[in-house]
Amino acid sequence: MIDQEAASGEQIRDGLEPDVYPVAEGRWQRLKHTDAWRSMFRHPQLDTPRGRALQGFSNVFLHVYPVKVPRRVLRLRYSWRLGFIATVLFWILVVTGVYLMFFYTPSVTAAYGDMQQLRTGIGFGQLIRNVHRWSAHLMVLVVVLHLVRVFFAGAYKKPREFNWVIGIGLLAVTLGFSFTGYLLPWDQLSYWAVTVGTNLVNYVPIFGGILTDLLIGGPQIGQPTLQRFYALHVAVLPLLLALFLMVHIWRVRKDGFAVRRGAAGAFAEGANELVGSESAADATDATDATDEPAIPAATALALANGDRVRLLGVVDRESVTAEERLTDDTVFAWPHLIVRHVVVALGTIATVLALGVAFAAPLRDIANPNLTPEPAKAPWYFVGLQELLSHFDPLIAGIFVPAGVLLTLAFLPYFDKNPHTESKYRKVAISVFATILVIAVVLTVIGALFRGPGWKFVPPWQHSYLEM
Amino acid sequence: MGITRRYVLRTGWKIGGGMLALLAGWTSWELLRPLTASGATGKIKLGSPANFTAGTATFVNQGRLWVANADGHLFALSQKCPHLGCRVPFCESSGQFECPCHGSVFNIAGEWITGPSPRGMDQHPLTVENDELVVDTSKKINGADHGSNKFPTDSKGPACAGKG
Ligand code: FES
Repeated sequence: MIDQEAASGEQIRDGLEPDVYPVAEGRWQRLKHTDAWRSMFRHPQLDTPRGRALQGFSNVFLHVYPVKVPRRVLRLRYSWRLGFIATVLFWILVVTGVYLMFFYTPSVTAAYGDMQQLRTGIGFGQLIRNVHRWSAHLMVLVVVLHLVRVFFAGAYKKPREFNWVIGIGLLAVTLGFSFTGYLLPWDQLSYWAVTVGTNLVNYVPIFGGILTDLLIGGPQIGQPTLQRFYALHVAVLPLLLALFLMVHIWRVRKDGFAVRRGAAGAFAEGANELVGSESAADATDATDATDEPAIPAATALALANGDRVRLLGVVDRESVTAEERLTDDTVFAWPHLIVRHVVVALGTIATVLALGVAFAAPLRDIANPNLTPEPAKAPWYFVGLQELLSHFDPLIAGIFVPAGVLLTLAFLPYFDKNPHTESKYRKVAISVFATILVIAVVLTVIGALFRGPGWKFVPPWQHSYLEM
Repeated sequence: MGITRRYVLRTGWKIGGGMLALLAGWTSWELLRPLTASGATGKIKLGSPANFTAGTATFVNQGRLWVANADGHLFALSQKCPHLGCRVPFCESSGQFECPCHGSVFNIAGEWITGPSPRGMDQHPLTVENDELVVDTSKKINGADHGSNKFPTDSKGPACAGKG
């Protein structure tokens, strides 16, 4: 019986199979030799360069990573792992969000009761809600930091312009998540923050009224609003985010990992675009999608032997001369990058868990349309806007400024044509960006910490009115 | 030249796609457009005008509005702040309306005094029918512009907002 299986295992070996194959010893190894196992995992786990490459190619999850990455990507300073942390937070939010969905009814009569029940009557209910809330806060923060980091590294420049635009889209979706999720507990905090937010939409020229109506679904915030926000929060926005995220991550690979480009910009850029700063292995990987299985096998083999791989079929003739790489500066994503990512993911989970244990998510009195609490503050990431609103006309402060900033950011790569990424060559861009950033931070800090009832100035050492 | 098969097919796809998009838009709009309000709108009887004495503001829950008496002139003021929609409470000590959200202040006639609100408080028409005060909540009159105040704007005492 076992012999037979081993024999049939022998038969399905093909050109992709590495020469070294572990002997079937012990139950576990014999299981791994069965046809059923091999139908799930095509290639045995082999700790050879070729084995690792094959595993990467043939596994949909590992395939998210390139088989090999430039060594510089491993350094924490390269990206501070902010994009990855945001992705981890998104998955934490998906998992905790699904748990919460089991207990939550999107109805104005039931929602608040469900929140109380979650807090007192359901094992770990409060913890799950806290973790959801803190992850959401952190996600907004991390996404913004990611944007700031990418800006200062100049990584939005050609050929990564469009991925930057998608990134801005992801930021907008993240804020949409926060805003829609904010209403769901149906307490005083959520009711009035969302009242202020939706009335803001009213000031949009021409379409303001229609947009507000669509969002609220009635004359004032009520059952239709709650239901709409719920549908947006648990279905529409997650799908949008997943879609954007897919393209975003895919393009990180296909546009190549960002390199610091100084005065020698032009040449480096040319080489970058053609063969890319993608490693040879990544280029190999690109062919993996072709119909011919023999090609990746061949390239994988060549790679394993330490040869450089050049795909004449997809590369311009000129670039062949441009792409002269003397030393292989790449390392395998597994284990080098993936292990680092696992550590960062565990750290992220530990952080939100600790926050969830230490600080409870707020739950005020049930929403009361007849009583505006003092002060009625938006969540911290919108509080800068609220501060701005107390000084200027709502059309300016609520619509033109935020929309202007968001649009300028989105199209930044298209009018900032300067190819340099080093700060000494980008004084204008950096000073403008830094100024906007500082203004935003100052407004947020004033709004969040220094404003009390009636939006009067109250220093935080007298009384803290921070709303999270 | 002339019309080729390829041209017809391409144009056909474009028109077909456009129609499909229109249909999708129409369906979504019909599904998602807000249902017109029912119930709360309409006329509300408020009893004798003499119930509302000068210098007071009375909240009428049914219509979500204030009936304010400014020197003998009655106003039905919407509770919704023209700025961003917070509910505006009446402060007894200052005799003014003070919005807690961004600090807009209105006098007892609903006229703008200070803060980010673009105009005075919105009003509903008030009439007297058979000695009874009636407010029509289905109609809304936008509040007066800045600087067109007819009533005094000074407070009669300390403000409520800011005391916590
Ligand atoms: S909502 Fe009243 S001042 Fe902004």
